[in-house]
Amino acid sequence: MRVTRRTLVGVSLSMALLAAPVARADTADGAALNAMSWDQVVAQAKGGTVNWFMWGGADNINQYVSGYIGGILKDEYGITLNRVGLTDTVEAVNIVLGEKEAGVLDAGSVDMIWINGENFRTMKQGGLAYCGYTEVLPNNALINWDNPAIANDFGVPVEGCEVPWSKAQFAFAHDSAKVPEPPKTIAALIEWIKANPGQFTYPAAPDFNGAVFVRHVFYHVAGGTDGLMGPFDQAKFDEVAAKTWALLNELEPYLWREGKTYPTSINQLNELFANSEVALTFDYDAAQFGLAVAAGRFPATTRSYGLEDGTIGNTNYTVIPFNSPNKAAALVLQNLLLSGEAQYEKANPAVWGTSPAIEISRTTPEVQAQFGQIVLPESVVSAEVLGKSALPELQSGWISAIEQGWIANVAQK
Amino acid sequence: MTDRLRIILLLTPALLVIGVLFFGGLAVGLMRSFSYMPVIGLTQPNLDAYAAVFSSASFYQSFLLTFHIAFTSTVISSVLAVGAALLLRRSFIGKPVISFLFQLNLTVPHLVGAIGILYLFSQSGSFARLGYDWGLIAKPADFPALVFDPYAIGIILQYVWKEVPFIGLIVLANMQAIGEDYEAVARSLGASRWQTFRHVLLPMILPGLLSASVMVFAFTFGAYEIPALLGQNHPAALPVLAYRKYTDVDLAARPEAMAMAIVIAVMSAAMILLYLRLSRRSLGRRP
Repeated sequence: MRVTRRTLVGVSLSMALLAAPVARADTADGAALNAMSWDQVVAQAKGGTVNWFMWGGADNINQYVSGYIGGILKDEYGITLNRVGLTDTVEAVNIVLGEKEAGVLDAGSVDMIWINGENFRTMKQGGLAYCGYTEVLPNNALINWDNPAIANDFGVPVEGCEVPWSKAQFAFAHDSAKVPEPPKTIAALIEWIKANPGQFTYPAAPDFNGAVFVRHVFYHVAGGTDGLMGPFDQAKFDEVAAKTWALLNELEPYLWREGKTYPTSINQLNELFANSEVALTFDYDAAQFGLAVAAGRFPATTRSYGLEDGTIGNTNYTVIPFNSPNKAAALVLQNLLLSGEAQYEKANPAVWGTSPAIEISRTTPEVQAQFGQIVLPESVVSAEVLGKSALPELQSGWISAIEQGWIANVAQK
Repeated sequence: MTDRLRIILLLTPALLVIGVLFFGGLAVGLMRSFSYMPVIGLTQPNLDAYAAVFSSASFYQSFLLTFHIAFTSTVISSVLAVGAALLLRRSFIGKPVISFLFQLNLTVPHLVGAIGILYLFSQSGSFARLGYDWGLIAKPADFPALVFDPYAIGIILQYVWKEVPFIGLIVLANMQAIGEDYEAVARSLGASRWQTFRHVLLPMILPGLLSASVMVFAFTFGAYEIPALLGQNHPAALPVLAYRKYTDVDLAARPEAMAMAIVIAVMSAAMILLYLRLSRRSLGRRP
């Protein structure tokens, strides 16, 4: 038998080609991963790609994810991070849903989604989430699952189907040169709006931030959160909603454009604030104000604040779809996001400035020291100050009802 | 290989694309619009989604708005395009430059145009700032609402800006193919300028003008991005409304979104057919 060199090369080449897909094992089988050790998962993940679908409306967040996180993934784990920007998280949920319908059960195009609230409920409702893997992640130890604000996503039990990424609390912003004393309660805000016609508006639901603002008014009308916590209660809703819509409709003539139209997104509201068309703005992420000032979009005299009667806070998460073909790589990404170092980088106001979802006391002394040195820009109200009067989020049933009710009774009236 | 076979083979790739992607998507959309979505437990086809669409007041408001946008944009664009073509077929100094500028925005994407409209015409846009500098307005709210406005002025402006060169180029090509002999004959027989245009040139360019304007109408009726960027929150254009339903967090709203999309498609097809019939009839009456 004449085994020439060329044949050998050919054979080894074709073997290499055959072996390539095997080395990068398809990691769609979540149950198998749940039974593996972390080292096995990391080995499986090597050479993979993670398609992370996330809201893409803030350059600094995109930069943190693609640059900082993507860099570490590539250098230390050999994983490629592909960030896919969305304007609305539900778009990614729709993709996964469509794939399930089409019978794509182990080769989906979405490997991870930045998610919370209603969209997570949809993922659970449709059986679209990969669950039961949190124990596999070494950095799971940094998460305080005993905290109900972590273990429940807008009132929906997480049950190992997602891991937290950041905490956020709603804050208002004003230009201290123009409005030295902004209203610090919802009642005062209502008076202020009437006294300053055309200077205030809020994005129309279903915009995320606009809907949160409406919930603040809803809480105000209900006289607090008692009776609103827990599952959706139609009778209670009807009672509070009728008064809320009446109040918001009564305010309409005093809003920007006399309430005949509303901004359709938080970016549009921020644009109006930047151009001094309105005097107040707000965001679920106070760090955004500091970045807008740094970028020169907002005036240097911008300041942010919470309300004396409290503002709503929540936790946001990352979820892995049931049909992701790169679950191992997605797990490595999730574990990296939870590390003390990555959470510090994210909390650094020069990078992003959002609150960590992990317990800082459980991190290494070095990381704790770093967290201790964070200095916020003047325009950003600190999480500690905001946290003194925090309000919980409602369960998803309430949130949908309030959004639909607002559209039907305020926007369309 | 027979010619027949060859034709079929050559057509297959195009037919596959149309068949699988277009009719396949349409079939899935139809199924969902009949509330057939086994994945979320909807297995009994019914007409509930259509009933919901047709019983909501906002659907009719959105329809009127969408029709207004599509109709007004098409009419204004067509008139301006014919005028521009009449000017551009003459020869004058600097014509190449003017022709180039006229066609330039064909290459600019709709989205970019919309952002431009936003920067120029919003209440804190460039024109509002000029007005403020010149003391014409004291605050942003004094500037007329041209975007996010109830009459969809910003949307129509954007479409006119973009579609005038499109219709104009088709009409111009038409005019150049026809030449000026017929008009010269009419003029020599004593027709006025207007009569020459109305009874000689217009009937000849009408087929081209009609097909171009039908395309514009169909596009503006079904387009999502411009009304989403420049439109007011409520009532919203039909495609925006359908997309909102589609991105509703409640999975049960998906059939309604699909039903609305199917209704939009059927309506624009019906309107195009009607438009073509009416215009063919008017062509048939040509003197």
